[in-house]
Amino acid sequence: MTTLLAFARGPLFLFCFAFMVLGLLRHVLLTTWEIRRVQRRAGDPSLPRKALFRATLRWLVPLDKLREQTLFTGTSILFHVGVLLVPLFLAGHIALSARGTGLKWPALPNTAADVLTIVSVIAGVALFTLRLSLRATRSLSRPLDFALPLLVALPIATGFFVMHPALDPFGFRAMLLVHVLSADLVMLLMPLTKLVHAVLLPGTQVLSEIGWHWPADSGSRVAAALGKEEEPV
Amino acid sequence: MVEKKSPYSYVVEKSCLTATDRPRRFLEAFAAVLEHSSYGVSLDLAARAGAKCARCSAGCQLYEATADPRDIPCRRSELLLTVYRRYFTRPGMLAARLGSGFVLTDEYIDRMGEEFYRCTACRRCKLSCPLGIDHGLITHLSRWLLAEVGVVPKALVVAVREQLQGVGNTSAIPVPALKDTCEFLEEELRDNFGAEVKFPLDVEGAEHVFFPAVSDYLLEPDTLMGNAAVMALTGGSWTIGTGNYDGINYGLFYSDRMMERIVHREVDEVRRLHGKKILIGECGHATRSAWFASTFCGPEAPQVVNFLQYTAGALRQGKLPLKKEHIEEKVTYHDPCNLARAGRITEEPREILRAICDDFVEMTPNRQQNYCCGGGGGTVSIDEIRSFRTKLMGKRKADQIRATGAKLVVAPCANCKKQLREVCEDHGLDVQVVGLHDLVLKVLDFSAVKSPPEAVPESVPAAGGAA
Repeated sequence: MTTLLAFARGPLFLFCFAFMVLGLLRHVLLTTWEIRRVQRRAGDPSLPRKALFRATLRWLVPLDKLREQTLFTGTSILFHVGVLLVPLFLAGHIALSARGTGLKWPALPNTAADVLTIVSVIAGVALFTLRLSLRATRSLSRPLDFALPLLVALPIATGFFVMHPALDPFGFRAMLLVHVLSADLVMLLMPLTKLVHAVLLPGTQVLSEIGWHWPADSGSRVAAALGKEEEPV
Repeated sequence: MVEKKSPYSYVVEKSCLTATDRPRRFLEAFAAVLEHSSYGVSLDLAARAGAKCARCSAGCQLYEATADPRDIPCRRSELLLTVYRRYFTRPGMLAARLGSGFVLTDEYIDRMGEEFYRCTACRRCKLSCPLGIDHGLITHLSRWLLAEVGVVPKALVVAVREQLQGVGNTSAIPVPALKDTCEFLEEELRDNFGAEVKFPLDVEGAEHVFFPAVSDYLLEPDTLMGNAAVMALTGGSWTIGTGNYDGINYGLFYSDRMMERIVHREVDEVRRLHGKKILIGECGHATRSAWFASTFCGPEAPQVVNFLQYTAGALRQGKLPLKKEHIEEKVTYHDPCNLARAGRITEEPREILRAICDDFVEMTPNRQQNYCCGGGGGTVSIDEIRSFRTKLMGKRKADQIRATGAKLVVAPCANCKKQLREVCEDHGLDVQVVGLHDLVLKVLDFSAVKSPPEAVPESVPAAGGAA
């Protein structure tokens, strides 16, 4: 197990982390390039900037959306706050980063991290349950849609026990192994699945809007490509 | 009149039922559109990041009425996204080589043909989507691709054919009939209001060239008289071009190719008359499609003004003479999706209504969040699906209207008016559906201007209220 743990914490972690960073960067760069290409070709490239900014901000901090579908929205917000803040601002993670790379940043107090951890794990399980129990989401969901909330919650839950070995029912090393492996898997899946929304969310409103900004002669060009220029209506 | 059994709820042309090789032609059209238009970027977002959270279902009035999973916007969009992923993304093509089962078939095209016309493309669900995925855009694109293989409601294609290849407008009103109608409306204004109000035809150099939904000339005389009276009393410079007097653009509902051609015709008419602005009458989709003028014709395209903006501008400037007596009945306002969903025209009609009505009440929700009348996306023109439109799609709207207790519903859109009248009839609501300028006409003070000026472009001031 020691070798496996060393592998998971070492080369596998590095690979998965690099895969995540490069993969997400690729998404961002390709998307940015595509936005610029569409804008360059658009007959009317002007965008409703204020409205787009407002909509983007509203969904980045969707507190006003709590009025609609309160249970689902509230659960989702709690889940996201936890899974974003805890891995990035846990004192233990920052210490590891400082030891490995010298980079460090302000940490969450451990008690706050504990509370957020518990809340996000409960929220992850609740999201899974809601997805399963609501007719609309159940009919829409693919297998990975059911699995992802649990999968993302797994390194958070195991991380709690790693931080609190006294409460750990399985033993520190086993728990740490599951923690690291599941985190590696989540990092690996980020660029490959819908988890990519983690980096695309700030641009989604723009991406939806520019779909309407066609090149001036797009209709005629399509007609020409299909040989339908002279075709009667 | 059903000609032959169609696999869709709506009537299609015979050629659609005998078409062959549709999957290949659908994919060719898809490839051409992805290459020459801008949809790819939005589709890619939905395909990559769509979370399938079903929040959109809470925003959809149809799903609320049917609870049928196929009416969940995200699920409907997935029909096209499945095709996109399989045939136009590398992972999809790789999965296909490894044995992924999806193949585009005739049956699948029929399913899309049915389901994308169960959506009015009102875009309300976009407001509930955390990722801002625009299912209205996906419906819009899907309908275009379907039209390229002949799957399009006959009601829509016949209207566009008449506009582009026939008389020149969707209601097939020839120029002599237009002139007669305008003269008749002038007489009505003279007889009923003692007002000398002109419908100026082919005035060169007018600031505004007027494009109402051409059906207004047949169905909405009060709206048109209200439009003309406002112009006369505010000294507006306007004209109706006999080369093209139809703002309707069903291309918006099924084909960007048609939409582009129809928008070009509008711009050409403005240029022929050396006009400056496209003035759209009370019609939501006509306004939204005209807003694409700068897309199709570049930055030099004429500015687009909706009549609500013009009248509200005149009101703000104190140029709209109103009687002291207001409309007394309880009035409510329906926001047409094509005007309000993106927040472009929401306050102007309310300013006017507050100025002319004693008892104006809002529907809930309203403005950007308002529910579609149920006949959007061209479905209102498909008479054979009336029961679907009014009872399912229009149920939420009927509830909204009923809750206001209003006697008059103002809908500044030709399509919304027709749909709402049918919704009210089918839901037993005792309310009257009218245009905004129908009410304005009733409270205009014609005596304030003894001799209303005729449209003489050189001598009139620039009109206020332009967008």
